[in-house]
Amino acid sequence: MGVFVFLPLVLPLTAWPVARLAEHHLHPRAATRLLTAVAAVLAVCSTLCLALLMVVGTAQLPGNPLPDTWSDPEVRAAVPYDGIAGRAAIPALLALLAVCGRVLLRHRSVRRRAARALAGLPDTPVAVLPDPEPYAYALPAAARRSRGRIVVSRGMLARLGPAERRALFAHERAHLAGRHDRLLLVAHLAAAANPFLRPLRTAVTYSAERWADEEAAVRVGSRRVVARAIGRAALASGGARPAVLPAFAVAGPVPRRVAALLAPPPPPRAWPPAGTAVGLALWGAVVGVTVSALSSANSALTLYAVLKATTPL
Amino acid sequence: MKKRDAGAAEPGGGARRRGQGELEAQVLAAVRAAGGPVTAGGVRERLGGDLAYTTVITILTRLHAKGAVARERAGRSFEWTAVADEAGLAALRMRRLLDGEGDRQAVLARFVTTLPASDERLLRELLARAEEPAEESAGEEGEEG
Repeated sequence: MGVFVFLPLVLPLTAWPVARLAEHHLHPRAATRLLTAVAAVLAVCSTLCLALLMVVGTAQLPGNPLPDTWSDPEVRAAVPYDGIAGRAAIPALLALLAVCGRVLLRHRSVRRRAARALAGLPDTPVAVLPDPEPYAYALPAAARRSRGRIVVSRGMLARLGPAERRALFAHERAHLAGRHDRLLLVAHLAAAANPFLRPLRTAVTYSAERWADEEAAVRVGSRRVVARAIGRAALASGGARPAVLPAFAVAGPVPRRVAALLAPPPPPRAWPPAGTAVGLALWGAVVGVTVSALSSANSALTLYAVLKATTPL
Repeated sequence: MKKRDAGAAEPGGGARRRGQGELEAQVLAAVRAAGGPVTAGGVRERLGGDLAYTTVITILTRLHAKGAVARERAGRSFEWTAVADEAGLAALRMRRLLDGEGDRQAVLARFVTTLPASDERLLRELLARAEEPAEESAGEEGEEG
C-alpha cells in the first residue's frame, strides 16, 4: 500500500477544479447537489483514514486501551512512518471532532435563538420585523411539524420596489423549499473535517444562492428584476468594508450573482453534452473525483482488511 | 435565585428554557395592556398570577436590557412602561442575534452578504446595466451617486 494510505487525506485537493468548473458551467441546482455530495464523500473517506491511522499507530503505546494486535508489525509494515503518522493522527482526530462538534452546536444555537426571537409573533410564513437595518433570510423549520419562515426587516422592504420584493420572497422561499440549509450544513461539516475541502464549502454556499436566484427568476418571470433586487439590497446593507488588495481582488459573490442574472440563463439541462470542450472537461473532472473517492474508500477498506486479518476478534 | 442584570439571567420557577421567548412576549403584552407605568406586581396580576414575582422581575429586567421596556423608580420599586410592541421585541432580539454571532452567515443564509469597496463599484456598474431599459422604474428612487 505504501504512501497510498495517506491518499484520502490529500485527495480532497482534486475537488477544487471541479468546484470551479461546476460553478461556471453547470446549472446551479446540479452544481449544488454535485458539490455537496462530493464534499460529503471525500470528508467521510478522509476521516475514516485518519481514524484507522490512529488505531494502527498508537495501539502499542503504553496505556492505550486498544488491543495491541491492532498494530501488529504486519499492519505497521503497510503504513509508512506508522509511529509518526499514528501519533499525529490523534490530535488531528481530536481537533476534527472538536471542530465538527462546534459547527453542529453553533448551528443549533443560532437556529434556536432565531426561533426564540420570533416567539410571540403570529405564526405567519413571513415575519416582518420593524428594524431600519436591512436584512432578510430564510429561517429553516426547526422541528418536523413547523414550517420554515422568511424573516425580513422593514428596512430591507423599504429599499425594494414591489417587483423586487417579490423576487426577494421567491428567493428565500426557494431556499426553504429546497432545504438548502441541510446541504450547507453538510458542506460545513465536510470543510471542518478536512480543511482541504474549504473551497468546496464556499462553492456550495455560492451555488445555493445562485440556485435560489434562478428559481426566483423563473417565479418572477424576469432575471433583471432579481438582479436588481440583489444589487439594491446589497448596496443598502453595504457598510462598504475596505478591500484587502483591490488590484487583485476577485469579484465577490454578490456582483457575480448579479452578473450571472444579467447574462443569458443557464441551460436547463443539468449536464453539458460530452461532445463539447466544457462537457469533456467536466466529465474528466468528475471521473477524477470519483477515482479519488474510490481510492480513498479502497485504502480505508484495505487498511481495515489488514487489521481484521491480523486481529483475532 | 441568582440576580444577574443582563439578558442571560434564568427565569425562576418552572419556566422552561424553550418558553423563554414566549414568556418575554407575554410579559411585554401585559405591560402594554396596562396602558401606562405599571409595577411588577401589577404585571403579575395581569398575567393571571401564575408566575413567580421574581420571574416577572427577571423578565422585565431582561426586556429592559433589550430596550423593549423603560423603567422609572417609584418609591422603593420600579414602574415599567412598554417601549416596543411584540414585533419590535422580536426585531430587537433578532438584531442581537445578527450582531452577536461571528459566523452566523454559516447558519442563516442571508439574502446578500457584506460588500467590500471594490465589489460596490462593480455592483453599481452592473446595476446601471440592469436598469437601462426603462422598465417600470419611473416611481422608484435612484440610489446612485
